[in-house]
Amino acid sequence: MVQQLTTGERQNALVILLCIFVVGLAMAALGGFDPFGVHGVVVMLYSGGIAALVMKHYYDPEPAPGRQSQYYDDPIKVAIAFSLAWAVFGMFMGVWTAAQLAWPDLAFDSGWSSFGRLRPTHTTGVIFGFGGNALIATAFHVVQRTSRARLAGQISPWFVLLGYNLFCIVAVTGYFMGVTQSKEYAEPEWYADLWLVVVWVTFFLLFLATIARRKEPHIYVANWYFMAFIVVVAILHIVNNLAVPISFARAKSYTIWPGVQDAMVQWWYGHNAVAFFLTAGFLGMLYYYLPIRAQRPIFSYRLSILSFWGITFFYMWAGSHHLHYTALPHWVQNLGMTFSVMLLVPSWASAGNALLTLNGAWHKVRDDATLRFITVAVVFYGLSTFEGSFLAIRPVNALSHYTDWTVGHVHAGALGWVAFITFGSLYTLVPSLWKREGMYSPALVEVHFWLAVTGTLIYVFAMWNSGILQGLMWRTYTQEGTLAYSFLDSLVAMYPYYIARAFGGLLFLLGAMVAAFNIWMTVREAPAAAEKQADIPDTGLAPGASPAPAE
Amino acid sequence: MPELFHRKIERTAIGFVIAIIAAASVGGIVEIAPLFTIHQTVEDTPDMRLYTPLELAGRDIYIREGCYGCHSQMIRTLRDEVERYGPYSLAVESKYDHPMLWGSKRTGPDLARIGGKYSDFWHVAHLTNPRDVVPESNMPAYRWLARTALDTGDLGLHLRAQQAVRVPYTDEMVANAAADAFGQAAPNSPFAAGVTQRYGEKTQVSAFDGVVPRLTEMDALVAYLQVLGRLTDAAYANTAAPQQAPNPTN
Amino acid sequence: MAVEEKDPVSGQKTTGHEWNGIKELDTPVPLGILIFIVVTHVWALLWWVLMPTFPLGTTYTKGILDTDQRKIVEQDLTEAQAQRAARMRAIETSSYEDILANEDLMKLVRTTGHQLFGDNCAACHGADGRGRANYPDLTDEDWLWGGGPEKIAETMKIGINSTHQNTRVAQMPAFGRDAILDRNQVTNVGTYVQSLSDPAVSTAQNIEQMKAGREIFLTTCAACHGEDGKGNREVGAPNLTDQHWVYGGDLQTIINTIHGGRQGHMPTWDERLSPAEIKILSLYVASLGTKQP
Ligand code: HEC
Ligand code: HEC
Ligand code: HEC
Ligand code: HEM
Ligand code: HEM
Ligand SMILES: [Ca+2]
Ligand SMILES: [Ca+2]
Ligand SMILES: [Cu+2]
Repeated sequence: MVQQLTTGERQNALVILLCIFVVGLAMAALGGFDPFGVHGVVVMLYSGGIAALVMKHYYDPEPAPGRQSQYYDDPIKVAIAFSLAWAVFGMFMGVWTAAQLAWPDLAFDSGWSSFGRLRPTHTTGVIFGFGGNALIATAFHVVQRTSRARLAGQISPWFVLLGYNLFCIVAVTGYFMGVTQSKEYAEPEWYADLWLVVVWVTFFLLFLATIARRKEPHIYVANWYFMAFIVVVAILHIVNNLAVPISFARAKSYTIWPGVQDAMVQWWYGHNAVAFFLTAGFLGMLYYYLPIRAQRPIFSYRLSILSFWGITFFYMWAGSHHLHYTALPHWVQNLGMTFSVMLLVPSWASAGNALLTLNGAWHKVRDDATLRFITVAVVFYGLSTFEGSFLAIRPVNALSHYTDWTVGHVHAGALGWVAFITFGSLYTLVPSLWKREGMYSPALVEVHFWLAVTGTLIYVFAMWNSGILQGLMWRTYTQEGTLAYSFLDSLVAMYPYYIARAFGGLLFLLGAMVAAFNIWMTVREAPAAAEKQADIPDTGLAPGASPAPAE
Repeated sequence: MPELFHRKIERTAIGFVIAIIAAASVGGIVEIAPLFTIHQTVEDTPDMRLYTPLELAGRDIYIREGCYGCHSQMIRTLRDEVERYGPYSLAVESKYDHPMLWGSKRTGPDLARIGGKYSDFWHVAHLTNPRDVVPESNMPAYRWLARTALDTGDLGLHLRAQQAVRVPYTDEMVANAAADAFGQAAPNSPFAAGVTQRYGEKTQVSAFDGVVPRLTEMDALVAYLQVLGRLTDAAYANTAAPQQAPNPTN
Repeated sequence: MAVEEKDPVSGQKTTGHEWNGIKELDTPVPLGILIFIVVTHVWALLWWVLMPTFPLGTTYTKGILDTDQRKIVEQDLTEAQAQRAARMRAIETSSYEDILANEDLMKLVRTTGHQLFGDNCAACHGADGRGRANYPDLTDEDWLWGGGPEKIAETMKIGINSTHQNTRVAQMPAFGRDAILDRNQVTNVGTYVQSLSDPAVSTAQNIEQMKAGREIFLTTCAACHGEDGKGNREVGAPNLTDQHWVYGGDLQTIINTIHGGRQGHMPTWDERLSPAEIKILSLYVASLGTKQP
């Protein structure tokens, strides 16, 4: 890893790490025993640890001069490792929280392990830890391959990846200590938010600079999505997290947005975190790994245009469907509802585009579990976007909102779409990245596939049942026109489903662990592939010379 | 042909990014900005009061423990919700909430109007272990709250920051934040009078956790729960719901 | 690099671009999608015309229907009240006997009572009304303030030690903490009280203690609990001779009660529940006891 950097770059890296270390030291000194101080120590340990690694290899030989004529894959490899580690952590937290809802004493009487604090460790762990690292890995991979150019930086990819994981670590350790802004999917406190801005702007510039080096004048669809993902998440993140800290030495702030406006800003953010993090980014993955794995051209370029701009434009209006019937003015809710329904068109256009791409490759879907992961992902993408548009219709939302139906929808998307496309992409990416013939064990991929499918179906069906049952019980009337059930009645009715969900989630977690093992063994043991065709950037020049950008 | 145009912009990275920003900005601007300019968005109420420092501290504990992950504080404009929980929530009721805690999941019941529904004593027992009072419950036990002293040292800073986000706390309130927090949980103490004087006669002064000399996190959280739905009576004004406005002196 | 080819499977032309082996076909947008666009957009347009939708500076388009979620729910609530009105009026105006005799109304009492009890009372008295430590059992025949729907309704309306101005006041003084009785005296009277419901407690060995306890009871406690310890519903003083305990009948709990006093808090339901709902609940609570075997 360090060997890829020149001595000058190693020095720069150490300077950056030192700066971060000093910031951590200042935080620790100012914050003392406040969680802010604890986070200072976390920052010091993290930057110190990485600095020690750099120093250990400081005197290693410099990279060969031809490094510009190779893809920069080291950060991708580390991102994959991070992603898998977070997957196991985040899904374990999911299983634990699921189990707590069935057996509440599993919190073992501690503050850090109570449901309210664990829940965001799960959502952050899976969305930002697992999903985010997978997005960084695939974005780095796809942008290089489709541009036939090396990443436009030596340290910046590391800064993005490691800086991003520092953000995730600060976030999750914060929740255990009770540090949260309570904004769903934006819980980390002000200093973590600020840090993420720095990381994300770097990510943006790096990505853009790499695209600028591309050899094919047209930017490929996958990169449109990655670009939208990076740009829009930056906008969302900054606006939603504007806050006034109570002090620059405390892990506590108050958002600048009051009440009803805060609700709108929060769900404009929250919904579009789904749209541009969990959807656009992963569509980027889909648009690369699906055609690569199926060895088929994309069904329709025109459909790609339609769905991309539809998604980018329509999604941003839909956030208010999280606030139906609330104190948010009715007119905003109507906008959210109508745009959510119109949004189904571009969503299904991308799902259709993907499925039709498989025409001529369906036999591969049958035989190849990896391609099946991708295919099932597309199906669940179609399903959960349909469900989403349906749930966004006010009368439907009257029933579903606040219930487990939302949770069922979330996990149809999160497990069925996000996790499936990620694993499908990783199974495609890992052997090619480490130059292996294939995965260590195709049989284990098959096992993982069935664990994941069963787990997802159990989870989603349990939550559909419990959610609809709960929603109906809340509004069932007696013949005389009075409510028939108390809240407590509905709570008692939930227990069997909570147990089933915990079981389904456990299967899914086991599948993820199988994947982590299989990928680990692939890296360590799988036989090397015979180089069929050089996987190198197109510099158009002799190796070592600086590449000429397309723009 | 739009397609030809597209073939142009997909050849320039910067142009593409600008197009993305343009397309993605419209929705947010149209939906958010008018919430500040349309007057009816937040109802007018003369009687809206502020959270006391103790209640605010309780609110922060509510946030810290993630209660919002299971409890909503937003009664929707639906018949069943109004009949179960009380008048639907108004925007003005969370006017001073930074952030709002409307929630998105009801693993437990809505808490928007929980204030005054149960006794302090019940809340203490329930938070200490919900299954002691409600055997069916899957809510976590929060035993340490009653053991943990409330940190009042920073309360002035909290109120300052609230001032910065335009919650109308006076400088006097900021200066007395810690004393007021103590006074609200110590009825009969010399500090109690200042609380009602600064925050209004309707403020509840009570030995929330049942133990007067020690100010705990339990005091703060129960004080917060007991004020939910009672910052203003506005919600009771225009509804066919059967409930009456809470009246602490009747 | 822009070389157009034909895809052998679909017969479509490619766009001529190629990215690391990926190509795209130039397939036109399927008709289905175009129809789908038209349908959803026409529907949205219709909605925008009918309902409040677009902001206009300091106001917004109200829509032809000129409606709003608040108007709708107010109307729903009014209709719901109208639907219930006849029965609710019957409940409010009829005597308890008449309601008890009216199967139609009693059905309402049972179903509605179940929900109201679950959402308001179960938190303290348990979903089955059997109470638990610190909260009285409502299914037994041992009433602090009197059973029967009228008394129960009154208790609910004004509460006990509640914020209601006419609240019932239940004050069991803190004899030990307030130094009215010393340690020994508390233990003695506690043991005596325990013996009232459990004769096995009084033995030949502790006869002196019993005597002392009885002495204190008669001078200090009887004012409220009566000389026989059977309680007094005027002041909410419980019967101490039966097996029904609010706080507990073991010696330690009794001593705690005498030492620290008790002021159970039962909220007033005057604001939260309508008079009809209170009446329904009082009948429901009264029926809990009779349903037990
Ligand atoms: C795991 C989900 C969960 C969490 C987390 C949770 N609760 Fe609850 N809560 C419930 C459930 C379920 C009930 C209904 C059963 C009961 O009364 O315990 C409930 C009931 C309540 C009630 C009584 C509501 C009523 O109308 O009867 C209050 C008050 C309450 N919770 C407050 C809190 C507070 C404060 C926190 C955080 C410190 C919290 N809850 C965290 C699930 C949760
Ligand atoms: C916050 C807890 C709480 C809630 C909620 C509550 N109660 Fe009570 N209730 C009490 C306590 C405590 C007492 C006993 C007071 C005492 O010890 O004197 C009591 C006493 C009573 C009594 C008098 C019993 C007797 O023996 O005379 C009745 C009747 C009653 N409750 C009915 C209800 C009904 C009906 C509801 C729901 C609408 C309800 N309670 C809700 C706490 C509660
Ligand atoms: C001023 C009236 C009053 C006097 C005097 C009084 N009590 Fe009580 N006692 C009450 C009331 C009222 C309650 C019920 C309190 C409640 O439920 O909150 C009660 C409750 C009790 C209980 C709890 C019963 C249960 O079900 O758990 C015990 C035991 C008891 N008293 C014993 C005594 C003894 C012994 C004395 C004298 C030393 C005494 N009381 C004097 C009013 C009185
Ligand atoms: C091992 C599998 C998983 C299990 C057992 C699991 C379990 C849970 C549980 C119990 C909750 C809380 C629901 C509630 O409050 O009632 C939850 C919420 C959530 N999970 Fe998972 N989860 C799993 C995997 C995932 C994955 C892979 C993702 C995303 C990629 C994800 C995203 C979310 C999100 C976004 C929420 C919040 C939902 C909301 O607020 O409505 N989960 N999960
Ligand atoms: C057309 C696409 C979609 C639409 C219109 C849509 C709509 C909705 C609606 C209406 C809700 C319920 C809000 C509520 O009642 O609280 C919801 C919740 C949610 N959806 Fe979707 N959805 C779509 C696609 C997806 C996808 C693909 C995912 C991927 C994971 C996803 C993740 C979520 C999450 C995480 C929540 C929970 C938010 C919360 O915390 O409350 N959605 N969505
Ligand atoms: Ca944040
Ligand atoms: Ca949520
Ligand atoms: Cu959404």
